[in-house]
Amino acid sequence: MAEVPMLEVQNITKRFKGLTAVKNVSFSIKQGGITGMIGPNGAGKSTTFNMICGYYPPTEGKIFYKGEDITEKKAFEYTNMKIARTFQIMKPLKNLSVLDNVIASSYFGHAGAKNAKEARERAMDVLQFTGLFEKRHVLSKDMGTPDQKRLEMARALATKPEMLFLDENMAGLNPAETEEAIHLIRKINESGVTILLIEHIMQAVVSLCEEVIVLHHGEKIAEGTPEQVMNDPYVMEVYLGMKKEDAHA
Amino acid sequence: MDSKKAVHIYHRNLTILLGLILLVFILVPTMVKSPYILNIFVLMFYMSTLSMAWNLLGGMTGQNSLGHAAYMGLGAYACCLLVVKTGANPWLAAIFGMVVVGLVAGIVFYPCFILRGPYFTLVSIAFGESIRQLIINSEFFGRASGVGLPFGNDSWLNFRFGSKVPYYYVGLIMVVGIYLIMKKIDRSKMGFALKTIREDEDAAAAIGINPTKYKIIAVVISAMVAGLVGFFYASYIRYIDPDLMLQVKSTESVLPAVVGGAAFVEGPLIGGLIMIPLSEYLRANFSAMLPGINMLMYAVVLLVVIRFRPTGILGWYMHSNVKKMIDEKILKKPSSEVLEEVETLEYQREEA
Amino acid sequence: MSMFLQACVNGLLMGGFYALMGMGQNIIFGVMKIVNFCHGEMLMVGMYLTLILYTYFGVDPYLAVPLVALVMFCFGAVIQHTLITPSLGTKSFTNLLFLTVGLGLLLSNGALVIFGSEYRSIRTGYSQTYIQLGPVNMALPRLISFGVLIVVAITLFAFLKYSTLGKQIRAVSQNPVGAEVVGIDVKKIYLLTYGLGVALAGIAGALLTQFYTVFPTAGASFGLRALIVVVVGGLGSIPGAFLAGIFLGLLETMSALFISPSYSDLIVFMTFIIILVLRQTIIARRR
Repeated sequence: MAEVPMLEVQNITKRFKGLTAVKNVSFSIKQGGITGMIGPNGAGKSTTFNMICGYYPPTEGKIFYKGEDITEKKAFEYTNMKIARTFQIMKPLKNLSVLDNVIASSYFGHAGAKNAKEARERAMDVLQFTGLFEKRHVLSKDMGTPDQKRLEMARALATKPEMLFLDENMAGLNPAETEEAIHLIRKINESGVTILLIEHIMQAVVSLCEEVIVLHHGEKIAEGTPEQVMNDPYVMEVYLGMKKEDAHA
Repeated sequence: MDSKKAVHIYHRNLTILLGLILLVFILVPTMVKSPYILNIFVLMFYMSTLSMAWNLLGGMTGQNSLGHAAYMGLGAYACCLLVVKTGANPWLAAIFGMVVVGLVAGIVFYPCFILRGPYFTLVSIAFGESIRQLIINSEFFGRASGVGLPFGNDSWLNFRFGSKVPYYYVGLIMVVGIYLIMKKIDRSKMGFALKTIREDEDAAAAIGINPTKYKIIAVVISAMVAGLVGFFYASYIRYIDPDLMLQVKSTESVLPAVVGGAAFVEGPLIGGLIMIPLSEYLRANFSAMLPGINMLMYAVVLLVVIRFRPTGILGWYMHSNVKKMIDEKILKKPSSEVLEEVETLEYQREEA
Repeated sequence: MSMFLQACVNGLLMGGFYALMGMGQNIIFGVMKIVNFCHGEMLMVGMYLTLILYTYFGVDPYLAVPLVALVMFCFGAVIQHTLITPSLGTKSFTNLLFLTVGLGLLLSNGALVIFGSEYRSIRTGYSQTYIQLGPVNMALPRLISFGVLIVVAITLFAFLKYSTLGKQIRAVSQNPVGAEVVGIDVKKIYLLTYGLGVALAGIAGALLTQFYTVFPTAGASFGLRALIVVVVGGLGSIPGAFLAGIFLGLLETMSALFISPSYSDLIVFMTFIIILVLRQTIIARRR
């Protein structure tokens, strides 16, 4: 098992009408860990994510999941391969209750529930796990940002993934809420789910991730443990320099 | 244990109330003899069914079709032509009609579902107009003069009656049957897939729903139900012509759902219950002096509902004091805390 | 050959109307991202306005054009203010769609209630004047109408391209939030846009009256064709709408000439579906 990485990205490139958003990026993720992807705004993180998740194919390059080529797979085939994702801009099913949001996910993916009872029970389990149980009858559009971010994760978890992609799941949270989110992500990881996350909040990345990948202008500029990456002079220049100019980034 | 009992009583009361409402509808023909009134009921039944067909696609899946009159018309034509040309039994023709409409809708809309948003609506309009033009231009379909079904003696086998009562009951069975099917879909895997697609197609794909596949299934079921309504209409009126498929008829089929509340399975029923009698009353009493007055009323109601009650009559009712009163006084609905408590208890029991 | 030329000219003259309708629909869609399903009915209202002006006040249909445009502009602005703007807030595409559908029902049935279902027409002194140009025969009113159409189209294009208001409209259509941030009154632009779109439909209606009968559902086929023009010409593109309108007019007369007049509607709609699906497939592939 240790020989074949969970996810392997080989030289992917994405060009949008002449603009190269991602250039020749390669990395691999081993099973069971938490990997972070960081970089300033416009570095190509979300584009990379969307390519890995099948929203659009890379212009060049290949993506392997457990040794299988998944480059051309469509977005809706991913949960069948035990991969789930969340969105940076939350996409809750606004007019449905929290419970129904999660029930919807329970029906799909590799272990999709066979009947209404099973789906409901799984949804209840996931809500308990993510701490949304008490709010299960609230309409998801009536919830605040922290709960909606939680719901994003709950919906992904209900498909029983082995690999989870989290796209800026802590953006817009205050320190206490961030702490709770970190706790939840660690709990998910401990239950056996490999995680790749995009994040801006360094505190979260440092405390969660074993591996960090840094993107800048669509290229990978560093890779390693959080300490190694943070001490890389180029990363410091790019990342901290960016932060000074643009505090809200 | 008390709270469990309260929930049980509430569910029982709800069933009794629904049963009573159904009973009233079953008893109507024994008390009402006027063919005029019965006709309004029959109209209400098939228009509500057509609107439910639309609602599966529009309300549940978020694909706003404006071509449902064409599916209904196509179903009616398929049935009538089979009966007239081959002398087949009308009940068999009904199944044939539904299959034809389902197939045509599936084949036509398969390539169209890469289109999102307003494009689907535009294609559904163009599709409806194309079908109508095709029929007007075809000798086989009887051109603009339409097709009549054979007259004769009353018979269940040929679904042909002088009285309106049998049509009333068949219509009632149709509307209740389709309602139950829609309710079932709403709570099933498919219903959740459709609702997820309505809210966000990317989110649907992310949890493993193939949007195209489910949209096709929805359009085929919706078109088949509309085809069934076409069969009923043709058997009832006994004559069909291409005007059945006019654009405005498609709009009419949408109104009960939007006015009643498109997000609810019951929306088309409530909307139909209110709109059809009103429209017929106006048509009967004023259309000689003021033609178009009933459609004018439709339009005004539609605009008022959209402007002031965007979630429809049911959407308003759900948060109204009337519902609160009915829930507390008649149905003895327990408070939401009690309901949640029972739900939690049951969940924990399953766990143990 | 002369038949072919005649069909070309007829198609061109009719296409002008589709182009004008399409341009109105296009600005509305471009700015608010809603399809105006009562666009054809607005044309019908323009026709009745012209009819009233002609029968009761003796105003020549062509002199009525600016007046009709002004009235229709105000009418559109009022509708936008009272109905559409408040509903834009709900962000429900279904509701907005049926709002305009409901307006269409209201207008066509309102006209039916007020004017009855009779077919009416306007016959001025020059209605039956024809101009012979080589092998081609043209009715004078059609020719004048086409001329006016061209002038309106060019004015519109210049207005959107060069005037401050036009630039604001284009800004809102590209990014309403961004436009609001730089100080553009987005609600005012919405008002202006819908008024403008409706006024264009009204102008088309006024220009049609001399060779087209006036009745409550007269606008329906023009409304449908406006939708086709918008989609085929490209959303938000005014020159695209103009070309697509002309194309549609030519397609109609050509299919009437070479196949059969009764099939021309069918051919138009089928062509529309095919173009739409093909183009979307290509766009989807390119992604």
